[in-house]
Amino acid sequence: MKLIRITKGNFLFHLGKREKHLLTQVLRLYPRIPPATFRLSKSGKLPDGEANQRLLDESLAEQRAENRKTLHAFLTDQRRFTDTESGSRLSLSPSELEWLLQILNDVRVGSWIILGSPDQGIEFKLLNEKNAADFWAMEMSGHFQMRFLEAIEKREV
Amino acid sequence: MAETAAPEATPGTIETTEEKPKSGLEPGYLVICWNDPVNYMDYVTHVFRKVFGWARKKAEFHMLQVHEQGKSVLKRDSMEKAEHYVHQLQRYSLHATMEPDE
Repeated sequence: MKLIRITKGNFLFHLGKREKHLLTQVLRLYPRIPPATFRLSKSGKLPDGEANQRLLDESLAEQRAENRKTLHAFLTDQRRFTDTESGSRLSLSPSELEWLLQILNDVRVGSWIILGSPDQGIEFKLLNEKNAADFWAMEMSGHFQMRFLEAIEKREV
Repeated sequence: MAETAAPEATPGTIETTEEKPKSGLEPGYLVICWNDPVNYMDYVTHVFRKVFGWARKKAEFHMLQVHEQGKSVLKRDSMEKAEHYVHQLQRYSLHATMEPDE
C-alpha cells in the first residue's frame, strides 16, 4: 500500500489486488477485543467504581455497535475502492483514517489477547496450526496501521 | 531575633501568597497509561497527540515513559475529565486507567 498524494487533507492510497483483499479481510475481523476487557481502574479505589465501570462497558459496547455499522457500510460501498490496472485506489478523509486506525488496533490487540497476551519476541515459539490465523491477523493489522501512520506523518512534514 | 521588613500594604487590598491547603483542593484523579507489548510506539504517540492535543515531543516523552517504566501518568484532573480521557484512550485500545491521586 502506497500513499499517492494528499489533496485537500484527503489521503489517496494505491493498493495491489492482493493487498486490497488482505485489508478487507483484516477489517472483517472487527471487533476482536473481548467485551469487558478494559477496566476503569486498576486499584479499584474509585468512588462508585462498579457503576462507573458499567458506564465504561456500555460506552465501549455502543461504540463497537456503531463501528460495526460504519464498517459494514465502508466495506460494501462500491465507490470506496476504485479499480485500476494494477490494483485499487482508496481515498480516505482524515477522520476516516483515524477511525480505521482504531478498527485495525482493535483487531491487533484483540488477536494478541486471543493468542494469550504473549510477551514480545516469543510469538513465533507459540505459533502453531491452531493459532496461525490469529497471529496473521495481529501482524497484518499492524502492517496496515503502520502504513496509515506513515501517511499521517507525511501530511505533517 | 532579627526582624525582617514587613511588606508594604496598600490600603483596601489584601495580599495573600498563602497556598490553598491541599484538603481544600478538589480530589484529583490520575490518568495512567500502562505498558503492553502489542501497541506500536508510533501508534501510542499518535493517540496521545490526538486525545490530549499535545506536541510530538511531549507525546513521545510520555510514550517512552510507558515503554521504559511500565506506565506514565498522563494527566491529573477532575473525576469527569479523567473518565473522559480514559474512555478516549480505551477507544484506541490503549491500556489506560484512572486512579485517585492520594
